[in-house]
This record gives sequence, C-alpha cells and structure tokens, in this order.
Amino acid sequence: MLLGIDVGGTHTDAVLIDDGGIRGSFKTPTDHADLLSSIRAALDWVAAEADAFDIERVNLSTTLTTNAIVEGTTEEVGLFVAGGPGIDPHTFQICRHFHVLSGATDHRGTAVRELSRAEIEAAAKACDADGVRSYAAVCKFSPRNPSMEQTIAEAIGSRADVVTLGHQLTGRLGFPRRMATAYFNSAVWRLFNEFSFAVELALRERGIRAKVNILKADGGTMPLAMARRIPVESILSGPAASVMGIISMCDIALDSLILDVGGTTTDIAVFAGGSPIMEPGGISIGSYPTLVRALLTTSIGVGGDSAVSMLGEQVFVGPRRKGPCMCAGGSHPALMDAFNVLGASRYGDVAASRAGMAELAAAHSLTPEFLAQKAVDAAVANIVAACRELVGQINARPVYTLHELLDGRRVVPKKIYLMGGPAEVMKMPLFRAFQLSVSVPRNFSVANAVGAALTRTTTGAELFADTEKRRMHVPTLGISKVIEPGYGLADAERDARRSLLGFLRQEGIPVREENLMMTHAESFNMVSDGVLSGRNIRVGCQIRPGILHRYKALLGRLC
Amino acid sequence: MLKAKNRLGIVFFPAYDWSLGPTHPEREERLLYTHDQLVEEGVFDIEGISEHKPDVAAREDVERTHFCFPEPEAVVTRSHMAAAGGAITAARLVMEGRTDRAFALVRPPGHHAMKSVHGTRGFCTINSEAVMVEWVRETYGRRRVAIVDTDCHHGDGTQDIYWHDPDTLFISLHQDGRTLYPGSGFPHELGGPKARGRTLNIPLPPNTSDEGFLHVIDNVVLPILDDFRPDLIINSAGQDNHFTDPITNMNFSARGYALMNERLAPHIAVLEGGYAIQGALPYVNLGIVLAMAGLDYAHVVEPDWDPERWRQTRQVGKYIEALCEELPKLYFKPPPDPRDTLAGNWHVRMKEIFYDTDGIQESQREMLYDCRKCRGTLKIETRSGRVPLSLGVEIPQDACPVCRAEGYRAFEEAQLKGSFRYVQLINRADKEYLRVGF
Repeated sequence: MLLGIDVGGTHTDAVLIDDGGIRGSFKTPTDHADLLSSIRAALDWVAAEADAFDIERVNLSTTLTTNAIVEGTTEEVGLFVAGGPGIDPHTFQICRHFHVLSGATDHRGTAVRELSRAEIEAAAKACDADGVRSYAAVCKFSPRNPSMEQTIAEAIGSRADVVTLGHQLTGRLGFPRRMATAYFNSAVWRLFNEFSFAVELALRERGIRAKVNILKADGGTMPLAMARRIPVESILSGPAASVMGIISMCDIALDSLILDVGGTTTDIAVFAGGSPIMEPGGISIGSYPTLVRALLTTSIGVGGDSAVSMLGEQVFVGPRRKGPCMCAGGSHPALMDAFNVLGASRYGDVAASRAGMAELAAAHSLTPEFLAQKAVDAAVANIVAACRELVGQINARPVYTLHELLDGRRVVPKKIYLMGGPAEVMKMPLFRAFQLSVSVPRNFSVANAVGAALTRTTTGAELFADTEKRRMHVPTLGISKVIEPGYGLADAERDARRSLLGFLRQEGIPVREENLMMTHAESFNMVSDGVLSGRNIRVGCQIRPGILHRYKALLGRLC
Repeated sequence: MLKAKNRLGIVFFPAYDWSLGPTHPEREERLLYTHDQLVEEGVFDIEGISEHKPDVAAREDVERTHFCFPEPEAVVTRSHMAAAGGAITAARLVMEGRTDRAFALVRPPGHHAMKSVHGTRGFCTINSEAVMVEWVRETYGRRRVAIVDTDCHHGDGTQDIYWHDPDTLFISLHQDGRTLYPGSGFPHELGGPKARGRTLNIPLPPNTSDEGFLHVIDNVVLPILDDFRPDLIINSAGQDNHFTDPITNMNFSARGYALMNERLAPHIAVLEGGYAIQGALPYVNLGIVLAMAGLDYAHVVEPDWDPERWRQTRQVGKYIEALCEELPKLYFKPPPDPRDTLAGNWHVRMKEIFYDTDGIQESQREMLYDCRKCRGTLKIETRSGRVPLSLGVEIPQDACPVCRAEGYRAFEEAQLKGSFRYVQLINRADKEYLRVGF
C-alpha cells in the first residue's frame, strides 16, 4: 500500500492507495507554524485506517523549504565562488557572506588560474568568526572540472556542517543559477534535516517502517537520504504533485493541457510526447533562477474567487481576489457567483450570489444574467489566451540543430484535463472556447496526494568526455575516469546509463531500464592545426517522471 | 540583479549537425564553446536579453537579393537558409520594436557571397546581411542602411552586392588584401558611378591591436556614420581579428571587440568569420553580447591575454594614423572612377571571380543603365565552369519608368535570342521574381 501526503498551502491531504485504487483520503488544514503537526494528524488517520505493516512506501510533498525561503527563516551561508573571465560574479551576490576567489576554469574544464589558499583561508576565517556553519562552493564551469570546488571544501574543513558543491547538484551549465541553487541548498539544509528526523520518528512511533520519499518540482520523488543532501530539490513541489496526480489518474496519451482552477489562480501545465513539459533551465525561487528541474507551469489570476469588476463596458474577472465569493460569505461578487446566477452551479448561498451580481449589474444598467455571462466569457478568454501563449512559447523554444529546426515536432494540445473547485462548471465553457474534449477526473480534489503517492523516483545524469584530455566526468555522481583515445559516443551513452543505474541500485531505488531515456547525446570533433585531436562528447540521461510501474494497472481507472 | 540597458534579442543557431567537412574550420563544433560560455554566464537569464529561434529564409528571400545559377536549391544548403533566416529574425525583432538590438549568432558566414552566385567562396554561399537588408526594404520600404564589416577578411561579397546602391553605406575594416584572402578591399574601391563613396575600404596592416582598431572607428567610421545618417546600422561581426585566430595575423582582443561594438552601437550584428573557436569566440561573443545589451564587460578578458605582448608597433600605429587622415576624404569627396567605361547608355565592368571553396572561376560582364532619375537597372552576364552563359537583370526598388522598361526589354530579349542558358529577373519595383531556362 502507498501513502501519499501533500502538505499544501491551505490543506494537508493524504491518500492510501493499493492495487484496487484509492483506499481512503484525509484532509486537514495546514498549520504553517508547525508543519509536523499536520503530518502527525495525517499519520494518525493512517494508523486508524490501515495496518501500518502494509504500507510499503510513504511519499511526501512539503512546503517546508519553500516557506522557509519565502519567510526568510533560512540559515546564514558562506558562499565561496570563483568566476574568471566573464560577467563580474559580484553582480550575483545573494548573501552577506559572499566571497569571490581568484581561481578560474575555462569552458573545456582547464584550470586557467589557480585558487589562492590564503584567500580561501581568510574568507573561511571571516565566516567562522560570524558563526557561519553552512557553506557552499561554486566555480564557473565546475561541471567540466570539479577540482576547484573540492579544493575549497577541503580548505573549509571542519568549520562547516555542510558544504554544498555546485557540481554535485547538476551537470547542466549556468553559473549564476548554480550559485543560487547551492546557496539555497545550504540555507535550508539544517532545517530540512531536523524536519526529516522528526518525520522518521513520527513514522516509527506509529510502526510505519516504509521507505520515505520526498516529492520534487519535476514531478518525481527522491529518497529521503538523498533529500537530506540536496533539500533544495524539495522546493515548490506542490503544483507538480497535482499535475502528476492527473497524469496518474488518467491515462494521458495525446498532447494535453492540464488546468487546475483554484480559488485565486488557474495553473496550467502541458503534457506532450509522453511526459509533462519541463522548465528549460530550472525553477525560479523569488527572483533567483535556479537549476532545480521543474515542470513548466504558468499561473494566471483567474479562479472561483476572482473578483468580477467593470470598467466602462468591459467586464473583467480577476486577477485580484477581494475575499471569497459572495455565495461563501464574501462581500464582492466573484466568478463562482456568476456561475450561480447562470444556474450552472448551486454552490453555497445562491441568493447572496444573485443579490451581489444584481447590484453590480444594476450600477451599469445590465441584467444580472448578462453580466454573469460576460464574466464567464472573460474568465474563459483569459484562460484560452494564457494557454495559447504557453503553447506558443513551447513551440518557439530555441533549437540547435537543422534537424530540429526543419523537422521539429510541434506541441498541439488535443485534450484538456480540468481540476479544482470550479472544474465541473468550467467544463462546458472551456469546451466551447477550445473545441477540444475536456475531462474532469473523478478524484481531482485529492489529485495532489494521489500524484505524490504514485509518482516514481526521477533523477538524471550528464556525462562529459574529452578524449584529448583522456577524461570522462559524471559530475553529479562524482565519477571521473581516464578514457581511451578511441572513446566514442556509444561508449559515453553506455557509461552514462551504467553510472545512473549503478547509482540508483546503490541507493536502493528500484528502477526499470525502459524508464531510462537519453536526453541528449552529441559528439564533436576537436581539431587543432587542421588535424583531429579528439572528441568532445556530451551525453545526458534521465529517469523521466511517471507513475510507479507496479501501479500501472491503475492508470485510467481513477479518472 | 542584472538588467540590460538595451533590450537585446539573440538569435542563436549553431547548426550542430552541419559542416563543410569533419576538420574544416566551418564545422559542427564552431559555436559549441560560445554556447557553453553564454549559458554558463547566464546571459539568457538577464532581464532584457532574450533568445530566439531563427526563421528559415524562403526561396524568394534569396531570389530578391542574389542571382543564383542555375537556381537557389542547387547552390544553397538548408544551413545557409537557416543562417540567412536567423539574420531576418534578428531584423524582425528590431523592426517590430520587440528589442532595441539584435545579434544573429548563426553559421555559416555570408559576407564573401556576391550578387551572382555559382557556388561557395570563402565558406559563404549567400550573403546573410544582404538577404536581411533586402527583406527589411521589401517589408518596410526604402531604408538607408550602413553595414560596417569588422571581419578580418575584406567583405568583398557585400561590397559587390551594394556597389551601385547609394542607399547603402558599406565600410569594411580588414587585414590588408596584400597579406590575406580575398586579396581585395583597397581604398580606391569606392563604389559604382551612382554610389561613389558609398563603399569604403580600410585595409589595416598585420598586427594591428585594440588601439589601432579603435583609432579607425573614432576617426573614420563614426564621423562618416554621423554624416550618412543611416536608418539602420548593421555590424558584420567577424571575429577573426582576434590574436588567437589561426588563419589571420591581427592582435585584437575580446575587450577591444566589446569597445568597438559599444562605439558603433549597431542595431543588428551578424556573426561572420572567426575560427579560434576555443580561445576567441566564447570571449568575443560574450563581449559583444554584453556591449550590445549595455552591460559591463570589463571582466571579459581572455585567460591568455597579455596587452604588452600583443601591442601594435609604433610603425603600425603611425601607418594607421596616416591612413585615417586620408580615408575620410574618399567618402566626403570621392574622386571619379578612372576605369568607368560607358558603352552606349550602360556603364560596363568586367569581373573575374574565383570561388576558392568550390574551385570555380566565374567571368562576368556587369552593366548598369546610366539613368539620371534612379540608380539604374543592372544586368550581369555571367559564365563559369559550372554554368553556361547566363543573365541576371535587376530593376531597383525605386526604378523610373525607363529603367523598368529597360529591365523588361533585357529580360525578354534574352529569352528571344536564346543565347543565355538561364535568365533571372529581379524586379524590386513590382516585387516580381522570375527565372527561365529549366
């Protein structure tokens, strides 16, 4: 049996799933001051509902790290960076203890300027004097050669409880993003570790001995042991949980739009080519772009509680929310009230909806029905425009080969999956606007927890090989090997697969080889003085997000 | 957080699956390290800088600019269409006001491609800048355009295409043609009879460094641009003046390129040559991107840059100073062309063109109608080892009725007489592009 818990902004949801489907679900308001109490409440429900011994896996999605960053309750971090030629690293100063060191590595991973031990020592002393215990080291092009970051970590030594090294987070490039990612990782490290011990304790107290996984923003999970090393990956996993919920409940095959219409916003995600579409670089935390992989979602200010307003003849819905809708005791008419007036829904106090809409309509010499219809049309038009723009952006993404440019595949949504409070009433208006089949899954109200429960572990690895230097690296897995001059693309692909599978097995994560896909595989000739001097090979592979294999049979049955 | 002063659109298309040969300088790897550097620097995350996918140029984009013999499909690869299309995308961004500046980081280059195209020369087949400029003129009407070519090789293709166009100012800075391919680009090459002074060549001696380049920009290029007052400034941003370039002999640095770009302030830059793909391109391109966006580039310094070692000699400095005294006179008071030959109503010029990449020799007779009302209809009779005697006729955008009639007469006569294997008509006045002979 699987247990999925989603600690969301307003509610904490939990579901128990076995081979037969959803066994039970539980909802409780989230206590922001004490997230653990919300989790304990969910676990108490579980203890009452099922035999603790049957639970084989606990998947948890939490706002812990997100909240800490938003509320500024993170820890001081000593961030040590080495830039070299390019944009001045000081531009990206993200924290007080930010030290720019003088080493430099170039794009091929050649150290072009050595680090100064004295500088590191001085910086570490300064941090230590201020009581800093969490550190991060990030060097430009460190995924091509991690040695400088390792040198910095060694020099900081026991002054640190944790040193996040940029190359261990990802093999993808992006120095400013890597700095932000490493910084946030160290900043939430202690908090997350304390939390994870508390969660494990709470589980043990209730006799649950299942493996614990933490949900990530890319719609996959990671084992708790891994999350303790890279807690930053647990950030902003909420929207991903809902999207994965829909994907696991409905057997999606065609390119689709996934819409989550909530109280204040509508979140839009896109499913294409067999998996949800990802952010190209990584998610942004506040104004800092990071390298944390995430599902691409966009959010617009249209929801059940979005205020209906008029400017001249024009009717607007949202983006502001002026309290709840009137049928739920609010004081300003909102989208849900418009549906009540049209008779599409009978939610809450329908008379209050009518009264509110009638008052606003009368002020503009309109009938309440006319105003309500205009409001619904405006909301739908906003959603359609946002979807068009998102799909347009996806199709306009840069490509780098002629093959992709000329024969590239375009995303064309053929179906819409809709969830959230106003989903049922939005179904027909959206169908008319898009002229696409719209389906509302049965259990959408616990989609987030279902998504958390059913999604599998995802992870990726990038391999770089330089046959001129006779070196191969898989930075995130800490692999660095000497290679033969004849090392080719096929060897690199094989090594990347083996490294990733080996790592997963070592971590005790069951993995099926068919879920491993190559994201890119390129080999470039390097030429010096007109002769071939070697090959520069880049290969990436990943386990893409999806539903746990054992529960594949559930696909489509929960929809 | 960084925010660009000028909104900059970057059209980045490295064509990772196309090359002229596995060890050819124009190969898949050429923009690989540039790409790595730009991504690692986080350039595309800077507010105000955006990345764009190139459009693919259409056949008619090529046909309105070039006479391609026997036809565009026979000489132009898909990669050329993507490079020219990338330049058009860059122009579109600027013309539609979506960005203030645009940089087309595309390959292969184009500035050695001339009006008439039989094959590939100097790695170029079609002229990306010219295809782009003519797209702008077709879409937005006549525009005064200045093209400043800062590639180390003379931009002989662009010069040839705009030789007779008084609306286009073409300035090329390059290593002296006596020491480098293509061996042309001397100060006496000043443009045709209707566009005298609209072509200006600035041959620089080998080992010119930052100092010399910037002296030329300040003392020759900028005063002339001020006088010409173009609607659009385009930089053919070749990067082979770099001190590490394997096929040239100049001492220019990435910071020098950034400074030069900042002073020129082009609306659109298009990548041309530059084959030091590890030592130069990542840094030069980064410098240009930052300069175009109006950001600080002071830290863009090559790891092996030593200003003392690469400083130009006093002799080179003196030579350049003397050159800068004389050159502006050629623009402001161009002397008449002593070789100008008028046969009937046509100015006639004979040309021999060698296509080094494809090993073709082309012979041309170029004729411009001597018109007082417009720039004149152009005829090019051409033949090469590949293409039997063929004809290209171009009626300019603002053609007077006489020139229009002359153009059609030439096109029809060529078909009646049957002495030409292929005949192409570019009628810019009526946006009509015809070809016969298939």
